[in-house]
Amino acid sequence: MKRRVFASLVLTLPLIAAAQIQLGGLDRTTEVKKQHVELLTDSLQLTANKPQDVELRFRVEPGFHINSHTPKDELLIPTELKLDAGPLRIADEQYPPGSHFRLQVGSGEDLDVYQGEFRVALRIEAPKGGSTLSGSLRYQACDNAACFPARTLPVKISVTAK
Amino acid sequence: MIALVAVLFWAGVHNLRHRRALSQVPHITLIPASAAADNSGPPDAEGSNLRGKDAPAFTLTDVSGKKVSLADFKGHPVVVNFWATWCGPCKLEMPWFQEFSAKYKGQGLEVLGLSQDDGASRQDVADAAKKLGVSYTILMPDEAVAKKYGGVDYLPETFYVDRSGKVVEVTAGAPSKDQMEALIQKTIAAGGA
Repeated sequence: MKRRVFASLVLTLPLIAAAQIQLGGLDRTTEVKKQHVELLTDSLQLTANKPQDVELRFRVEPGFHINSHTPKDELLIPTELKLDAGPLRIADEQYPPGSHFRLQVGSGEDLDVYQGEFRVALRIEAPKGGSTLSGSLRYQACDNAACFPARTLPVKISVTAK
Repeated sequence: MIALVAVLFWAGVHNLRHRRALSQVPHITLIPASAAADNSGPPDAEGSNLRGKDAPAFTLTDVSGKKVSLADFKGHPVVVNFWATWCGPCKLEMPWFQEFSAKYKGQGLEVLGLSQDDGASRQDVADAAKKLGVSYTILMPDEAVAKKYGGVDYLPETFYVDRSGKVVEVTAGAPSKDQMEALIQKTIAAGGA
């Protein structure tokens, strides 16, 4: 009996190992596109039932810039936050002004961008208890010489109101 | 059973090694000096794997709705440039393609601008090209074509195709004007007269 169990293990373990190595290839096929912006705010502590000003902090990957909410050219894709308020009430949403960036290709181009950290200000009111502020940030990132297609960064922030 | 396990294990290890080796190959033929100075490395463009191979065939519609195939330009050196209206560096280099398409017209050079503006109308794309002073052929997007060219997830991305239909060079990111002209000359010289 023990021999059978041992033999089964000997035969099964390499099979599992081989399967794991093979499945490594599947991970790549389901790989999501790399983000160039990260959300720095993961939670908000509020006073219940009272409108308050909060900031959602984001950071653009070093070496990259994204268009501001109001880019200079109508063809450029603006940074835009879309939130599902749920039980929360969002009274106002303010984007920061962009900073000047000179694209150094050929004759160059002046852009209005976010680089490094930027903050979107919200005026928000929450009922007592816990809730989630979810949504997405749509942005389009470039470096000095090239651009990536627009990406959507999921936004999920836990809100506690006391 | 043991033989089956052994074969599976060997195939898995081989597959893993192959993927790791591929991931270490630089994907970009030419990294613009301006970009290399500030960024950590080449992006995830995989089109450079096409260098030395036949350029993938495609048929797309131009901004007037006319069908255009890569095969229509057989015997010509062709620049296949992926661009988008929202891509600043693309728009800065496109007037250079326009200039070189005129300069090397006598040597058969053809430039094709493949828009990657998903969802944009023909008119929007045509207007953007006109605003840039571009009169070479502009083609509307098709994700399947981009996939054939490695995904084209980093714009501009340009494939220089010689007269025999082989990809001579691939660039991701805008090169300098001099680099672009050198690549065009190389493409014209390659693939026989």
